[in-house]
Formats: sequence, structure tokens, C-alpha cells
Amino acid sequence: MSDGGLFHALLFDYTLRTVALGAGALGAVAGALGCFAVLRRQSLLGDAISHAALPGIGLAFLLTGSRATPVLVLGAALAGWIGTLFVLGIVKHSRIPEDSALGIILSVFFGIGLVILTFVQRRPTAAQAGLETFLFGQAATLMVRDVLLIVGVGAVALLLLALFWKEFKLLTFDREFGVALGFPMVRIDVLLTTLLVVGIVLGLQTVGVVLMSALVVAPAAAARQWTDSLSVMVILAGVLGGIAGVTGALVSATGGGVPTGPTIVLVASAVVVVSLLVAPGRGLVSELVRRFRVRRRVRADVVLSDLYALAAQHGESGEHAHPVAVLRAMHRGQAGTRRSLGVLAERGWAREVEPDRWAITPEGVERARTLFLPGAGEDGAGAQVEDRGVVAPGGEP
Amino acid sequence: MIRRESGAPVPAIEVNDLTVAYGEQPVLWDIDLTIRQGVLTAIVGPNGAGKTTLIKAILELVPRAAGRVEVLGRPYRDARGEVAYVPQRGSVDWDFPTSVLDVVLMGTYGRLGWIRRPGRRERREAMQALEKVGMEAFADRQISQLSGGQQQRVFLARALVQEARIHLMDEPFQGVDARTEKAIVEVLRELRARGDTVVCVHHALQTVREYFDEVALLNVRMIAAGPVDEAFTEPNLRLAYGGRVPFLQGVTGFEAPGGGP
Repeated sequence: MSDGGLFHALLFDYTLRTVALGAGALGAVAGALGCFAVLRRQSLLGDAISHAALPGIGLAFLLTGSRATPVLVLGAALAGWIGTLFVLGIVKHSRIPEDSALGIILSVFFGIGLVILTFVQRRPTAAQAGLETFLFGQAATLMVRDVLLIVGVGAVALLLLALFWKEFKLLTFDREFGVALGFPMVRIDVLLTTLLVVGIVLGLQTVGVVLMSALVVAPAAAARQWTDSLSVMVILAGVLGGIAGVTGALVSATGGGVPTGPTIVLVASAVVVVSLLVAPGRGLVSELVRRFRVRRRVRADVVLSDLYALAAQHGESGEHAHPVAVLRAMHRGQAGTRRSLGVLAERGWAREVEPDRWAITPEGVERARTLFLPGAGEDGAGAQVEDRGVVAPGGEP
Repeated sequence: MIRRESGAPVPAIEVNDLTVAYGEQPVLWDIDLTIRQGVLTAIVGPNGAGKTTLIKAILELVPRAAGRVEVLGRPYRDARGEVAYVPQRGSVDWDFPTSVLDVVLMGTYGRLGWIRRPGRRERREAMQALEKVGMEAFADRQISQLSGGQQQRVFLARALVQEARIHLMDEPFQGVDARTEKAIVEVLRELRARGDTVVCVHHALQTVREYFDEVALLNVRMIAAGPVDEAFTEPNLRLAYGGRVPFLQGVTGFEAPGGGP
């Protein structure tokens, strides 16, 4: 299908519109809630929750005989919650570290879920058809009432997020300080984790238990690259998640039975890769540029200090010019002496008195002196960097 | 100053028989400590002595195995609004996406209670606190761009907007630059001047005499506590620090003129 056709279908195809709306709403909710999971370093918890939800889906179906979405979602939420409690319990009452606890719960619950699902599918009734789509998700199975459920519950979750914004921020940044202020941080933690569970189980039908955590983590990780503000990050993650949801669902729905989950995750991952590469400030490209600039400046400073040393040998007049070859020799034959001289000339710290003979300028002398004074960097920026180096490692317990 | 009916001032913090254990290992053993109102007190002791734990136990951040803590004559829970807390700088992730002003505003959260957001008044108070620590120019800065000393001053400002009368600080001088150290000392003296009480976990023995009025020497047990002149003596330090004393020469300020600060 061509792009024009896809766009046309989105406008006029009722089913496709339903699916796109559901997946978009889901992506927005998961993306926004995912920010807190990512910032609290709980990305793996999302994975454990979604996998732990699988037996809940199977059991809910077995007990009620219904495959209405609210029933299955409720079962998933309960199982996801129980899995989370198990993780917290294991961490608290044993010496097993959190990542191992997450791994154990994830695989045990997922294994039980698979067994139940297999059992369900062997039963000779037709009602179970489609339960296996919960593994990898199938947005095409979304009904209008499913979408309404996603939108409705998702809106409540986002509303609660906005309402308890301050408390959630406090929990995420400095939990102990919150306790000292008198907030019941355990309850706030339970509320936030519940919202995360809700956001995850809402997406199981569309994205599937295996990949749902990607829709929680990826938009948040991408959004973090672009901003230093929590509110902007949450909104941006919601938007990116929504885009990933809509795009993935559409590609899947029109692409001949490709599962939705992997498609959505691929789109979300593409967003992450682009963000990691080109985001200003935190992106890889801007990091490389920054490193290149620092290296160029350091090299120029080295040549400047050489010029300064030469000028010092010739008394303070400084106007004595020196051949590039001398500087290159002092530079231990490293390439780029001439380029560094160019940088110095640009800044007015050195000048080419005659072809291939350079001298330090009075401004260059000033600059060279500050190079040798500890802490006298440019407008304190250097001093800051220095200070960051001595951040104490935690101190005592 | 808060006084009893008899007219005697109530201690800012009164710790009785406090014991804290992590697992089976006692970290604090049978601690008695009285901290007077309006003085600067240093908690000093070797690594692992339980200094941080003592502060956290007062704040009910770690469970007490036994013991009682009273703040201004009341249980801590009833006097929470009177106590501000400056945690160790390394206890949070400074790459968190937020601004300096936002972190300082967290000091007002306790007063605001549930759901209510900081408003114009809180912002103004936060800016004033930032001015006190010389960080007003950094209000909109992302916190990951701060140096260690600047981070410490932001934490101090956050405690200042708590509008408390008792300030518990965990290693405020740890790894900070000279300018920050000076700024913090000035703030501590201002707090004392208006009658506030400050308790600092402190590492640098050579500055105890200069910065603090009273000292509590701790090593799981309380070794000595009281005015610096009486408690901060070489025998007591020897008791607190065990065999590792050579470096103590001169720090108590008694041994030689000019040896101490």
C-alpha cells in the first residue's frame, strides 16, 4: 500500500482508525509513565511486570470463560502486581540482588503463563481463539470497546500522574528526603508502581507481553536525550510513544499479519537510535563535536605555552618570531602544529610575523599565564570541571 | 528558645538508649546524646562509626532497634516541621532532569502537603535561599552541570526553605571547594545567630574547633560529647579512632600553638 493509500485508509477505514487510535493512546500512556520507570532505574521491572501478567490472562480466561478485554486485563494486572510484590519481597527478605529477583520472577511467571496458555489452547472449545495474540500482540484484534478501555483507563492514569506530580518527582529524585519531610513514600511508591502496572497491562493485547516493556522504556529513553526538564520529558515521551504506537499499528494492520508488537518496538527503537545519535547536548554526534573542540583547544594551548616558553627565553619583549619547525620539534613531531597556530591566530593569541615564523601576542601572553595558574580558567568553567573530579564516593554508610 | 514550664530550655534533640542494627551487626550501641538549642554541633568519628546512621535514626529513616528520640521535647513525628535535613550529596542522581530552583523548591513540599504545587511565594523563598548560598545565578541551571560544591550549596538551600529550627546535615563539607566551605560556614553562623540548632556529620578534624561549639565523638558507642574544649581532647579522639592516631597530632588544638586552626 502506498503512503497516500495508507493516509486515505486512516481517514476513511473505520477499523484501521480504531486500531491506530488504540495503539496511539497506549503508546502515549506507556511512554509518559515509562519516564519514571527509566529515571528510577526500573526498566527491568516493566519487563518483569509484563511477563508476569501472562498467567493472569490465562487464569482469568479459565476461571470466567470470557475473553472480554476488561476481564483479561484485570487478570493481567493482578498477576503483574503479584509478580512485582514477589520481586520486592525477594529483595527485602533474601540476599538475592534485585536484577536476579527480576530475572527469576520474569521467567517463572512467563513459564507458568505459557503452560496455562498451552493448556487453554488444547481445550476443544472455540472461545479461546486469539488468546495467543497476547504473546506478541495483534492490534488488528482491537475492538472499539477495547480502545475505549485503553483511552479511559489511560486518561485516569495520566490524570493521577498529573495530580501527584510533585510527590512522584520527590520519590524519583530523593526518596529519603521525602520520608524526612513526612510523606508516606511507601504509599506513593505503591501508587506509582500501580500506574506502571496499569499502563503495561493495557498494552498487552496490542503489543504483547514479550515486548511491552520496550514501549515503556524506549520513548522515555529517547525523550531524555532531548530535554533536561522532567515535564518536557514526560510529554515528549508520551508523544513519541503515541507516534510509535500509531505507526507500528498501521504498518502491522496493512502489512499482512505482521504482529503489532515487534512493529511498534521497531519504530520506537528507531526513534531511540536517532535520539542517541543526534540529540543536542547528550547525543553521540554532539559529544564527538565537543571532544573534537576540546582536543583542538588543548593542542592550541600546548603550542601557545611553547610560544610562551620561547618568548620567555628571549626576554619579555615577545615580538621575537620563531620558525614553525622549532614549534613542531617542541611538539614532538605531532601533526597539527600549523592548524593549532591557525586557531591561536583566530583568537589573537599569536601572529605570523613573516612566512612560517610566529610570535606570541601580548594577549597570548596573558592567556598563557592563566594556563599555568590553577583554578584561573575561563569564567570559572574550568574550575567547575576540576571540582567535579573530586566528588566524594558516597562516604560511609 | 523553647523552654519547659520550669524555665529551663528544652534540648533541641534528646537521644536516649538508641541502638540501631543492620542485620545482627549493631551500628549504634546504646547512644545517649543531648543537643542544646542554638549551638553548632559536630558529629565526629572514624569511618563506619555510625555517624550517618545516627542522623538517619533521629529522622526515622532507619528503624531503631531500641531507644527514644525527642525533638524539642516532643516525639520526632510531632516535631517534623522543625527539622530540616541535608543528605549526603552522593545520595541522589545528579543527572536527574530538573533545575536548581526545582530541587530547592522540594524543601517546601512538606509545608505544601499533598497535591498542592509550589507557587510564587515558594519560588521567592527558594530564590532567597539560593542567594544565601551564593547560587542565585544558577537557578535555571540543569543540576547535572553543577560542581560538587555547587551541588552541596543547592542541598543546603533546599534545607533552608524548609524553615526549620533544627538542621541535620550529613557531611556538608565533604569534597567541596574552599568557596563553598566558606559559604556554608557563613550560613551555619547565621543560623546560630537566629537561635537555630545545627548538627553536622563532620570529617575534617582540623576544622572542628574553628567551626563548631560542641562535638559528639562517636564510634558505634558514644565516646564523648559536650563543648569542644571539654570533649575534643586527644584521649577521647584516641578512644574514638582506636590505634589510628598519628594523624591526630595537633588537631585538637592543645598540643602546640599554631598546630590547630
